[in-house]
Amino acid sequence: MFRLLAGRFLASLGTLFFVGLVLFALTRAGPGSPARIVLGADATSDQIAQFEQANGLDRPFLEQYVVWLCDVLRGDLGKSFVTGRDVAGEIADALPVTLSIVLFAFAIALVVGLGIGISAALRPGRLFASVTRLGVVLGLSIPAFWLGIVLIRFVAVDLRWLPPGGYAPLSAGLTAHLQTIAMPAISLAVYYIAVLARMTAASLQDALRGDYVRTARAMGLSSPRIVAYALLNALPPVVNLAALSFGYMFGWALIIEQVFNIPGLSRALLNAISQRDFLLLQGIVFLFTAIFVIANLGADLVNRVLDPRQRSAA
Amino acid sequence: MPNFLANRRRFLTAGAGGMLAPLLPASLLHAQPNHGKTLTVVLPSNPITIDPINQLNHDAMVLGQTVFENLVEYDLDGTLKPQLAKALPTISADKKTYTFDLREDVTFQNGKKMTAEDVKYSFDYLLDAGNKAARRSLFTRITKVTVLEPYKVAFELSEPYGPWLYFLTKYMGIFPAGSRQEHGDDYFKSKPTGVGTGFGVFEAWKPNDYISFTKNKTYWRKGLPHWDRLVVKMIPEDATRVAYLLTNQVDVISAPPPREFNRLKTMPGVTGASRPTLGGALLMYTNTLKPPLDDVNFRKAVACAIDRKTIGEKVYYGLLDPSAVPAPPRGWWFNADADKELAFDLDRAKEFLAKSKYPNGAEIDLSIQAEPYLLDTKDAAIFVQAQLAKIGIKVNLKVYEFSVLIQQAIRGEHQMALQVFMSPGEASYIIQVCLTPGQVLSKSTGYDNAELNSLLVQAFAETEQARLKDLYGKIQMVVARDAPLGVLGYVHASNLWRQGVQDFKVNQGLTMSVGEVRV
Repeated sequence: MFRLLAGRFLASLGTLFFVGLVLFALTRAGPGSPARIVLGADATSDQIAQFEQANGLDRPFLEQYVVWLCDVLRGDLGKSFVTGRDVAGEIADALPVTLSIVLFAFAIALVVGLGIGISAALRPGRLFASVTRLGVVLGLSIPAFWLGIVLIRFVAVDLRWLPPGGYAPLSAGLTAHLQTIAMPAISLAVYYIAVLARMTAASLQDALRGDYVRTARAMGLSSPRIVAYALLNALPPVVNLAALSFGYMFGWALIIEQVFNIPGLSRALLNAISQRDFLLLQGIVFLFTAIFVIANLGADLVNRVLDPRQRSAA
Repeated sequence: MPNFLANRRRFLTAGAGGMLAPLLPASLLHAQPNHGKTLTVVLPSNPITIDPINQLNHDAMVLGQTVFENLVEYDLDGTLKPQLAKALPTISADKKTYTFDLREDVTFQNGKKMTAEDVKYSFDYLLDAGNKAARRSLFTRITKVTVLEPYKVAFELSEPYGPWLYFLTKYMGIFPAGSRQEHGDDYFKSKPTGVGTGFGVFEAWKPNDYISFTKNKTYWRKGLPHWDRLVVKMIPEDATRVAYLLTNQVDVISAPPPREFNRLKTMPGVTGASRPTLGGALLMYTNTLKPPLDDVNFRKAVACAIDRKTIGEKVYYGLLDPSAVPAPPRGWWFNADADKELAFDLDRAKEFLAKSKYPNGAEIDLSIQAEPYLLDTKDAAIFVQAQLAKIGIKVNLKVYEFSVLIQQAIRGEHQMALQVFMSPGEASYIIQVCLTPGQVLSKSTGYDNAELNSLLVQAFAETEQARLKDLYGKIQMVVARDAPLGVLGYVHASNLWRQGVQDFKVNQGLTMSVGEVRV
């Protein structure tokens, strides 16, 4: 188990370094210099050269990458070209905001998606299953940003139940916090509710058709117990999908934070892109990549707990 | 059992109610009108700096104008007025020396009295090339600033150049002597507490969210501001910005979506207004050094093929006044005859094209901006593409971010580029920057004409408006003759605000003016 964990950890580290290299190349390959943004449209070429020298942008690409990587390994993500603040500090300010929305959305997606999926699998051919199928298609089809705007229109502007946007941290009180993250989280969760419900229903129906279920029934086991056994077997693909969904949610949060005017990581990322703030951009995307890698690693570990065959294979 | 079921139902209902409770009374906490003396205004973009000498974004200039002031002010109506000076300057006979008498009742927010030494220090700092002020190039004709008396200061210029006074409000501010060395540039950029004379004292900057100011209690204009706190929020998404206003979360928003503007301003509880800017032009940089735009008849064919009136009315819903020359139709220096020379006329466009080196039409790339700034130019670009197709010119639309597009224009790497260009709103700026050599955007057109340059130099030395009108009229005729710069029109500045907000006026210079607003 330890060897396997160490292997996965090293593979994840390799993925991160590779993504870092690609990211580094892409940010510098695009047109537009951060110097022009910071110094203004009428900066002279001398001023631009000075800026690039001061920030190491005039060095060879690989040298810049190695310097950046060494700094990252020391925990130093550098300073933003635009604001002059530590990138780590900028990320530390914005991460809790995005994390709270994504975690809330993920929790909603898990609870509701699994709930609907299990119910649909246990009632095949009934009205509930048909309604679920329709709901899943709708959930997969509705763009999150559109849903967000519709929620703002009706829930915030017409009904005045919730604020149209913004973010209140937990320190401002649980009520205020939930009020600000409810609509963004719901907008973000709807698609993943549909995805997880469909996968759970399909996987559980498949498991319920298994020989061991027929045997269990013949042995007189209670229905809840049989469902529990089937669910254990049905969950591994759902867990993998949930882990992927968790990673993707950070990507979709990019749009949701924009719609709901939330000062999270995604807003910082968009600004970093438009302002050619390379170090901040690299820091945030690197973090997203790390989250994705960790989520997948987590899914593997959970699956090992759920599935004895995977444990024995280790 | 029935009792149990009834209790269980009640329990579940109560539980569900309890879970929803934090959400339902949300309006009590967040969606309430602002009864305090906080004025909250909204910008559509994320500012990079508060420092006026490095500010590039005209929306964000509200930040610098809250903290810093200038010798003179170019006000909401486009009138030059004294601000930190007692009166407009006296100008020497050779038009090269400007002398200002300063107000003696002005103190900086740190309590220090403002004197001529501070004015000299501020301009010396701006003009020192080593300090890399982004707006330095506008003021390089100032050769020397001399303190004549504690409250009297003189500016010597290398040549007559009247427009510099109009640039002060947007691109300059007076700060205490020694303050830049004491605090450093980052301080002025992101936390300029105590270093201005303005009505607002910097309080906090929460990145990507808001910047706040408190009332300057020692402000020299007694009784101002009328608010205790100013919050400048950043909300890039149009729909969200409007939703914030409709739910009373904010008091004033800038850049309302043109399509919705007329409907929104009549909604209950909302007021809105727009006015033409004198300096916000929708320009189409035509690179005269690159074929097919190297041919004057081809450029005139392009100019005459564009129906600016329809763009103003149908694309921008009345928020763009059509003009074919670099002068706003409502400006005193606008020359209607020059405008007529390049006005929409498909038959003339075809005639010009037939006379050009490209009688069978040509293919051109039109660079446009991905993210809207002041106005979204994408719809206008599609309209232009359709119009030019009618005379056989194929336009390829190329979308770039602002930072890329502006560099293309500065380096002259484009063929045509469409962009809203915001200037201070005086007559010379766009002509000088785009149509004379050695300027930031000279290569955007590649144009250099001795006649135009000479007329402009004469205008710089002139102070009489009637004579200036004649000179700028001639300049526009030169522009109409050579068509070196595509102009589609001048944009309106527009704002929406809550009815509880009083004394808010839309600024012809676009930047929101908040000093005299009552909440």
